[in-house]
Amino acid sequence: MSAPILDMRQVSKTFGAGARAVRAVQLVSFAVAQGECLAIVGESGSGKSTLANMVLGIYPPTSGEIALEGETLPARRRPAHRQAIQLVQQNPLSSLNPKRSIGATVRLALDVHGIGAPGARAGMVGALLEEVGLPADLARRPPAALSGGQRQRVAIARALACQSRVVVLDEPTSALDVLVQARVLRLLDTLRAERGLTYLFITHDLSVVRNIADRIAVFEQGRMVEIGATEAIFSNPRQAYTRRLISAVPVVTEQELALRDRLAADIEEDAS
Amino acid sequence: MTAPTLAIEDLRLAFRGHAGPTQVLHGISLDVRPGERVALVGESGSGKSVTARIVLGLLQELRAARIAGRVLFEGTDLGTLRPAARHALRGTKMSMIFQDPTSSLNPVFRIGDQFRDVLRRAAPGIGRADADDRAAAILAEVSIHDAGRVLDAFPFQLSGGMNQRVMIAMALVNEPALLIADEPGTALDVTVQAQTLHLMRRLVAEHRTAVLFISHNLGVVREFADRLYVIYKGRIVERGPTGAVFADPRHPYTRALMAAVPHLTGGGIPDIAEASPNFAAPLIDHGASA
Repeated sequence: MSAPILDMRQVSKTFGAGARAVRAVQLVSFAVAQGECLAIVGESGSGKSTLANMVLGIYPPTSGEIALEGETLPARRRPAHRQAIQLVQQNPLSSLNPKRSIGATVRLALDVHGIGAPGARAGMVGALLEEVGLPADLARRPPAALSGGQRQRVAIARALACQSRVVVLDEPTSALDVLVQARVLRLLDTLRAERGLTYLFITHDLSVVRNIADRIAVFEQGRMVEIGATEAIFSNPRQAYTRRLISAVPVVTEQELALRDRLAADIEEDAS
Repeated sequence: MTAPTLAIEDLRLAFRGHAGPTQVLHGISLDVRPGERVALVGESGSGKSVTARIVLGLLQELRAARIAGRVLFEGTDLGTLRPAARHALRGTKMSMIFQDPTSSLNPVFRIGDQFRDVLRRAAPGIGRADADDRAAAILAEVSIHDAGRVLDAFPFQLSGGMNQRVMIAMALVNEPALLIADEPGTALDVTVQAQTLHLMRRLVAEHRTAVLFISHNLGVVREFADRLYVIYKGRIVERGPTGAVFADPRHPYTRALMAAVPHLTGGGIPDIAEASPNFAAPLIDHGASA
């Protein structure tokens, strides 16, 4: 295996101090290969958002270090680091500026990071919108004129505009309808292959994870309790917590029910 | 056969706007009988939440809303009632559970105060001690056994799962004949969502409450509902017992919805069109029996 693009080494984050300290993330280590999609799953309060914020450099770890392409990242990120790691949030309506046309939103990312000659940027915006499947004539419209799926495509285009290599996807499709979700997930999958992107896919939706992630890291109360290939986690989850998470997912087919029943039986076996 | 608790007949809704009226509901009909759990399944903008709001009598007061058709609650046409009479039904004979429990509870009042308000809707003269006893009893039914602490807490001091259970308890404390649940638990973790559904299932069975369950999540619907109606752009496109519809979805829209769900057993991300002219095909009815 080549050097990992992202390397988390004994990363911890504690908020507050003394008796009231909250240990949000504790001694988490994992490496992500270039082009990989690693899912981070867990319940609310498990530390997955804290982890994402540290990867993005919103705040530094309390201890441990994060390396990007072999280089240890400083507590205060330089512009090149910020450019390399981008974020797509859950709700595009609140993550896009409502007063700015979507073309201007994507353009701003190019301007801030100085990507392309100023005269060429308008053309680059058009190409980015096309790449995420949006018609070029939408560029002058505000987010309010778009559907939920289209808005999320804008957020993806903005993340790509920076020529990012790692994209943190924080519940990118959980606010979308199921038909729209399928289209956006397929787009993400295509972009990853074409651009060689690396994804940290943060979600609680294990049905989505099963179909898009190469590996899964399971978080419980700030600790990473299990990590492995997607197939392995689903066919043989080692932790009772992982089995509980999978067996709580509402499902639609008989085959899925059988999988859940098998895991539920394992949980009872553990308990007895 | 028992009379339905709720019967909606050819309900139409339009909103007046600058560019003329926008038709939102194109004549939908559905019914829910005592003790029955009926799901209304559709995507955002399909008209499922406005249907719930009309049943609760909340849209009738909106001047821009044009409503036609009938909503019968226990045999009474809600359209013939005065606003005050409709108001009296809410929180007593019919109640509602919302998607996000923490934001639908009032953040500046303690749970106990909010519970007393709910109880006074049905029994205006109820004393504080009696109200707290009733609240503690129903909280015990949702597996909250330290009622004193919970009634004394503000919503932000409780977890999302606790607030959801408090909401369910509040919605059921006045023994409503009809419970409307709008995407309950989708804002919560899957494990908490599963507990919430389990709890609701048990309580409505014990109290023989009729439930209209509004959701876009087919997995949740399969787990919770006896019967379902699929709604697309203001029209019911398929209806029938849950088992029959899942075993043999026949409307193109229902088929697309089911095919678009990623499976826990794998199979990749489905390649389904977001829209198709076939979705406007006429109603498929699986009949009443399973």
